[in-house]
Amino acid sequence: MIHCHNISKSYPMGSGRKQVLNGLNLTVKPGEHVGFLGRNGAGKTTLIKLIGGVELPTSGRVTRDMSVSWPLGFGGGFQGSLTGYDNARFIARIYGHEYREIRDFVEDFTELGRQLKMPVKTYSSGMRARLAFALSLAIEFDCYLIDEVIMVGDANFHQKCHYELFEKRGDRALILASHSPDLIREFCDRALVLHHGQGTIYSDVNEALEIYSAL
Amino acid sequence: MIRELVTRFGRENIGFLWVMVEPLLFAGLVGVVWRFMKGPEEHGVSIVAFIASGYIPLTFFRNAVNRSVRIFTANGSLMYHRQIKILDFVFVRCLIEAIGAMMAFVFIASLLIALNEFPVPADLGALIGGWLLYWLFTLSLCLILAPLSEVSDVLEKLMPVTTYVMIPFSGAFNMVSWLTPAAQKFMYYSPFVQAMELMRYGIFGDRIDAQWDTSVPLVASMVCAVIGLAMCRQIRRRLVIE
Repeated sequence: MIHCHNISKSYPMGSGRKQVLNGLNLTVKPGEHVGFLGRNGAGKTTLIKLIGGVELPTSGRVTRDMSVSWPLGFGGGFQGSLTGYDNARFIARIYGHEYREIRDFVEDFTELGRQLKMPVKTYSSGMRARLAFALSLAIEFDCYLIDEVIMVGDANFHQKCHYELFEKRGDRALILASHSPDLIREFCDRALVLHHGQGTIYSDVNEALEIYSAL
Repeated sequence: MIRELVTRFGRENIGFLWVMVEPLLFAGLVGVVWRFMKGPEEHGVSIVAFIASGYIPLTFFRNAVNRSVRIFTANGSLMYHRQIKILDFVFVRCLIEAIGAMMAFVFIASLLIALNEFPVPADLGALIGGWLLYWLFTLSLCLILAPLSEVSDVLEKLMPVTTYVMIPFSGAFNMVSWLTPAAQKFMYYSPFVQAMELMRYGIFGDRIDAQWDTSVPLVASMVCAVIGLAMCRQIRRRLVIE
């Protein structure tokens, strides 16, 4: 279970502050697939970062009773100057896993081959997404936080993610921030529409998508 | 987990040995220059040994402090993993610098002992104790500087000049007993000087007149650490990670 209790987040902007989230409440139960919808800058990424514990809310609390992945987005969570293997070793260590298992899975899933011996900063965004996905799938979290990364991969990668995430791990919770109505409709049971710092949860995804497209 | 970070920084830095070589070069060359300027001995101790023993802790302090500037932003991508706390960064950086400096110290001491320029440490306990005090105070200072540098750009600019100006107050190049009584009183309150005096006693023993009071660095470290920890806590809430 993940509880967001009355969370607010503001960032300094010029002389004032920009209120990104304002008193938002959200509960995600195990196995639930929640989509985040909202226009650019509505706070989707911010909310994901708060749930993942990367940043802390200005006020309010986030409680996590299940293991939550780090936010899978573009760069975050990697050390760019290290190679793919080094990052895998690092992740294996801090999450207390056997490096060998992680390495085998990563090699198999990413199909990056020798590129894994290169620093991550030389990777394209698609390659990064592959690595990030591979690592978080290898760790086995109860809840995955995904910030639009699926979009950058090619068809083969989509298929793999689909299989690993929705077929093999269909019982896990998932939070997906995306602009793509198709993705949300296909994968989410519920959707949260973010607008003006407030979030409204809809148990009917199509209704949420209608509201979102009307914003 | 902290150890994991150490290995990690070790890997990142291919030439880990540079951590040791840099203070080594500094201390060695400065020691040699002073030797030619002032002759082989001063106040009854070898000048090369004296300078080397003073300069290595000083470079450690300077590196540790400079490296703690913006340390949280620099390591932002690691913050994606909740196991990693911001204090780990400060702690690990200080530890690495300290290891490098101590390796340099051991290296230069063995070399100089072989050349008969450096005494065999008279009191190893005092030497290590002095190092620990020095490290403790540097660490607690970094705990303050690291969060401060995240909010203030000015600090970053002021840092080099401050570390330079404080050299006379660091005890690196003189003993308290060589100073005038007024200056002695003043120096008493410098935690660096207290730690250095203890270190020097550990090296030279009774051949020098070392005066130290461990309560000064201990109290100073405690105070700084408490302030620093509180500031780190504050800054964690405000940190913006890309």
